This record gives sequence, structure tokens and C-alpha cells, in this order.
Amino acid sequence: MDKETFSTFCRQNRSGDTHRITETVLPEVSKFLLHAGQHKLPVIWLETDDSGDNNIAFMNSTYPYAGQIFEDMIDLIYSNTFMAAQGDDALRILFSAAEQYKGVFTLVVEGAIPTKDNGLYCVIAQTQLHRITALEAVQWLGSLAKYVVAVGTCACFGGPTSAEPNITSSVGVSAVLARDVIHVSGCPINPDWFVGTLAHLLMYGIPELDKLGRPTLFYENTVHRHCQRRSYFDRQDYAKHLGDKECMFSLGCMGPRTHADCPYRQWINYVNWPVRANTPCIGCTTPNFPDGSSPFFTPIPQKGHSRDPQASPGGKEHPS
Amino acid sequence: MSAKSISISPITRISGLLSVKIVLDNGMITDASASSTMFRGFEWAMQNRHVTDAVYMTQRVCGICSLAHGAVSSYLLDELYDNEISETAQLLRNIMFAADFLQNHLRHFYVFSIPDFVQMPQTMPFHCQDLEDLRLTPEQTQHIIPHFAEAIKIAQKAHEILTIFGGKAPHQHSFLHGGVAVAPTVDKLTRALSLLQEIHSFINQCLIPDTQLISEVYKDYFHIGVTPRRFLSFGLFRFGRKNQKTLWRSGVLDEANRITVPDLSLIQEDVDTSWFDQKTSEGQQIISPSPRKPGAYTWVKTVKYAGKCFQVGPLARMIMTGRYAGGTSTMDRIVARSQETLLLTELMRDWLTQIQPTDTPPLTQNSVLVKRHASSPIDAMRGALLHSVRVEDERVAEYNIITPTVWNFSARDAFGNRSPIENALIGTHIPQDSLVNATVGRIIRSFDPCISCATHLIDARGVRLAEFIL
Repeated sequence: MDKETFSTFCRQNRSGDTHRITETVLPEVSKFLLHAGQHKLPVIWLETDDSGDNNIAFMNSTYPYAGQIFEDMIDLIYSNTFMAAQGDDALRILFSAAEQYKGVFTLVVEGAIPTKDNGLYCVIAQTQLHRITALEAVQWLGSLAKYVVAVGTCACFGGPTSAEPNITSSVGVSAVLARDVIHVSGCPINPDWFVGTLAHLLMYGIPELDKLGRPTLFYENTVHRHCQRRSYFDRQDYAKHLGDKECMFSLGCMGPRTHADCPYRQWINYVNWPVRANTPCIGCTTPNFPDGSSPFFTPIPQKGHSRDPQASPGGKEHPS
Repeated sequence: MSAKSISISPITRISGLLSVKIVLDNGMITDASASSTMFRGFEWAMQNRHVTDAVYMTQRVCGICSLAHGAVSSYLLDELYDNEISETAQLLRNIMFAADFLQNHLRHFYVFSIPDFVQMPQTMPFHCQDLEDLRLTPEQTQHIIPHFAEAIKIAQKAHEILTIFGGKAPHQHSFLHGGVAVAPTVDKLTRALSLLQEIHSFINQCLIPDTQLISEVYKDYFHIGVTPRRFLSFGLFRFGRKNQKTLWRSGVLDEANRITVPDLSLIQEDVDTSWFDQKTSEGQQIISPSPRKPGAYTWVKTVKYAGKCFQVGPLARMIMTGRYAGGTSTMDRIVARSQETLLLTELMRDWLTQIQPTDTPPLTQNSVLVKRHASSPIDAMRGALLHSVRVEDERVAEYNIITPTVWNFSARDAFGNRSPIENALIGTHIPQDSLVNATVGRIIRSFDPCISCATHLIDARGVRLAEFIL
């Protein structure tokens, strides 16, 4: 549509039925944006060694809902969970997208990467001759992607998949890639942390990250700092039992060591979060989760290394 | 035409990573291997942890049925600590459990299964959809397509109910041993009821008619993917002060159509064709992962009951409780799951209205262990789930999990006993090669496989299962 036609359209409609502007002009604007190189964010999403909780968490996104995200925000090129294609059709999409979208696509990895036995503990697909391990796929696609986003604590830091004794020698994505990885940690993620990060990548590029590679938009403050029960903590008014309304520090709360905005963002359409449910935060966004949080119901000063009762109290410190 | 081997990998739109190989001989599947290709070793990670960590830890086994693992762990701990569970707590627990079922079943039908039967918009993530055998009219297709996005929203509302009481989802916090840490206040109950009403309307107006339509248009799938008629269920929805009552009965249904009470001592596991080595050392079985083991093809072990493989899941429950009279096919599994979904909303409504609102969380946790080992069987979304534990000094000495997908996706044993999935595939007639992906995909997804769950088990014989008879 040329400028003159566009102008005519607007003038005609100014005094007429205005909804026609949205009907006819907005699609043109979209087309223009498209030609100017403003595409949706192309995403290749690999599921590796985790529980699949992060794709469920993604489907719990509200405003936008997952359906709207597919429609308006991202082009989900490859995803074991969501794609219609399967088998060879799916693998063909992956191989051709890696070339076609080289340097443009965002690689999302959900899950830890087993490294023992050349990574054979997690195989994303197999051909007649070859098992494509998560290790191989992440290294291959990680070298071609514009951005790499690790989703969930397994993908960020190893998480529960790498919990001791970690018999698969699993690690987070950044440990197998020689490049920056954006860490959206959580077990699972709050969908806002992930969808917000994707939106930032699309519109403004890489968001500001903390020392652990997490967007400060969501991970700047500790749970403790904004906890609704902070006044109880300050008065040393501690819960005696799960279900109590006082501070959960006495029952193992990891809030003081955990960077996340759960107290005010809350979960699943913003209705609740663990401390509000009268239970401790278990530090699921931290690099040492779950080992650094265990035993879950033991106060931080007495949290030993869960597997070694003789370990010194205090548990592993981490740099957050 | 000679026999040829076909690999379908990856099987998408499931939870976890799965590949399948079939042998196609003159249009008939004559051999099939379902290969689960991820392993995490969760039971190893459970060892030496404080036993009360189990509720939060084991939920991390699975993202789509996390609450089921938390529930089973809670029942296990209730037994170890001899907790008394109030009626209010049981109602709340079951409301949360059923809400997670709704979430699972809705997502399975619309997000995972519908692209097998309905032509989706040719936009991502539906691009390159297999269009070979899609039979709905354009009008029918246009009618169903909006339900995909709507189902995602409605499933979110199911998790919202769970979260009102549970703190978050997946991996809720309040369903613990001793009861529930959140009080069913009147505002929470009202909000949950209102959400449930929306879910119920969607199920009535979309899920049930859509299932009906798919089952009519694809009625040949009532004869495709048929398994032996052997079903197992551990029952569903615990009640009673000691979790001793089960609302939906447990049972073992054999080919002679007899239903018996499950006896856990008859459960047997093997690793003949799984990627594990098995050694006996000082009378103890020691199992270790072995991803290059010759002749092995999957991380799932073989689990049998009285020497035979059994199918588990919504169809097993619906048949066992006399609510479904059909067969054992692909479409029977799909229809039974949708029917169960509707039943669950009705149960939840009853429970939400039965609860007496209170400001006191219905939770009483004892702190002294009275037992050192326990087994807890219950049905999860996909069928029979078993956790067993042996405890030393409040720490986990051994923790064993047998998930539903292990039953449905067992590795074949040394005697050629096959899992329900391999039995369902073998014998399937596929007239043209171009129909292989569609046919195999539909059969597999009807079991709602969860591979993240399935690959986490070690030998259960070390734990004294025999003491636990449902």
C-alpha cells in the first residue's frame, strides 16, 4: 500500500465507521513491520534432562496465554512438546532451521545436560545409525543461536537432575557452551520470568543480568526482602509448625538466600506462593538447588549437606 | 514386499523423549520397540536425604503429574509417622489431586493429541503437520481449532485451583504428610468453585463433544492399537484418618475377566533389555546404568505383575470401576480419559461444597517415626504409581518409584513378554507407508506417555512390598 492510498484510507474512515481502520490499516502496518525485518522471535526449544515442568509452567502463562504467545510473540520452530510434526519430519525441521535461522534464532534449553558416557543419558532423537545426545545438540545449536536461554534450574545450574550423587554427571547448559547463556532459573520457572525474558529479547535485546546470568527484572531481590512475613522475622516471631502464619525461617525457609520475586508476583495467575501457603521457600532458583536447600525443613544455619550428616552446618554458600 | 525397519524419532507431543522402531511387513507391524531415551537416576538422588524431603523432591520427577508424586510421598510419610488425617484435609488433598488430573487430561487431549486428528493452522508450532489422514470436514475443523488455545487457558485454571490451596504449580507446597498447610477459607473455596464451573462448562461443551466427534470420524481406531485385556489400578482418592479408604477401587483385571485385589509382592522387575547392568553382591541386587549394553534399547525397565505385563491408566480405572464397557483400543483409551475428566469435575464440585470452611490449616504432623519402611500405591493421571521407602535414622536408605509409564512402556523381557504399547503396535495394519507416522503416533499418544517419569526406577524387591496389600 503506498502512502497516498494509506492517507486516503485514513481520511475516508475518519468520519465513517472507525473499526474499518483496524480491519484494513493494521494488517498493512503488520506487513510493513514484517518487511522492515520485525519478525516474531524464532525459537528452537530443546527438552533435555528434566521433569518437563517448565513447559507445563509455560502453559500456565496468563496475559499473555500460551496460545497468544505462539500467535503474536514467538515462532516456535522446534519443540518436542508442542510441534505437530514428528519423527523424520521433526528432525528435518530442526536441521533446516539451524541453517535457515543461523545467527537469528533463540535456543531455549529446558533441562540439564548429562556429560557422562558422552551424554548418552539424554538422547533427543535417534537415527538408524546415531543417537543425537542433548550434549551434542546443545553444543551444535548453541554455536549457531543468536541467544541461548536456559529455562529452569536444571538447565541453568544442573538442578535436581544433578543432585548428588549425580550419577549422570549432569551440568547446566553454560557448562558445555563457550558463550553467554541467559539463566531463567526456577523449579519450575514462573512463566512471567520466561515470557518476560523472551519479550525483552524480541523488543530490546538482552536484558540486564545479575552475576549468575539471570535477568535482574525478576531476580534482583531476595524473596526475604519482599516477603509479607518480614515483620515476623524482624521480631524473631518464628513459625513452630507448617501451616502457621509466622516467619518460616525456623522451618527451613531459603528466602534470605533466594533471588526471586515470588512474594509479589506469585504463581498461576498471581494467586499464591509457597510462604503464603504456610510453607518455606525451598530456594528453587538458587545454583545449589536442591542440595543447598536440604533438608528442606531445617533452618539455614543447620542445613547440612543433605547427603553427609557430618558436614559442617550452614550448607554450601553460593555467590548470590 | 519385504519386511523393513522404520524408526520414528522423536515422538513429539508427549512428556519426555521417546523413539519408536517398528518392522513393517506387507503392511503389518510385526515388531516394535519403544525406546525411552532419557535417564536421571532420581532414586540415587533420594538416598541419604531427610525422609520428609521426599514430598518436594519426588515431585521433581515429573512436571505434568508432579502432585501425584507429592501425594504418594505424603501417604508414605503418613504411614511412617503414623499421622491422623482429618476429613477436611482429605477433601482438600483430593480437590488438589483432581485439579492436577484435569490439567493433565485437558492438555493431553488438546495440546498433544488433537494435532493427530485435526488439521491445525499451518503456522508454528504446527508447520509441516502430517496431513495424510486428517478426516474432519472444514466446518468441523474450524469448530475445533479455537478449542486448542481455550484448553490451554482452561488447564491453567485447573492449576489455579491447585495453587489457591497448594502455593504453586507444578510442584505444589501444601499437600504434605499430616494433611494440608492451607486452610480452606470461604474465599478460597468460592474462588475454586467459580474456576471449576468454567472448567466444567468447557469439558461439557468442548471436550466431550470433541471426543465424541473424533471417535466417530476415526472409529476404525476402536480396532487399532488393541492390547491384551489385562488392567491394573491401585485405586484413586484416599480417604479415612489413616488413608485407608480408596474412593475408586484398586484391582487387577485378568484376561478371564476376574478382578482381584493387587498384591504388591507379585510385582517383579527385570532389566534384561534395559540399559542397566544387574549384579548380585552379598545377596543384594545392585543395578547400575549402562547406556551401551548390547541388546538393550530403553531406559525403562520391565515391570510385571504375576509374570505378566499390565496396562494402566484412565481406561484401566474406568473399566475397573464399572464405568466403561468398551475394549482396549487407541480410541477406548482416548474416550475413557475424556469421560474420566468429566467425572472428576463432578467429584470436585461435591468435595468443594462438602468442606466446612475454616481458618485453621488441617495439618497435624507427628515427629517420631513409628516404622522404618513403607510402600504407598495410588493411581496417578497415567495409572498405577508406587513409592516405597526404607528409612534409617530419618534418612532415606532406599527410595523406589514405579511409575505408570513403566507399566505401559516396559522393555520386553527375556521371554518375549511385551508391554501394552508394544502389543498395541504389533499386529497393526498400515496399508500405505505414508500412514506410518500418523498411525503409530496416535497409538502411542493414546497412552499419554510420560518418559520423564518412566525412567526413574530401581529394584523394588529390596523393600518389603509383601506387607502392603491393598
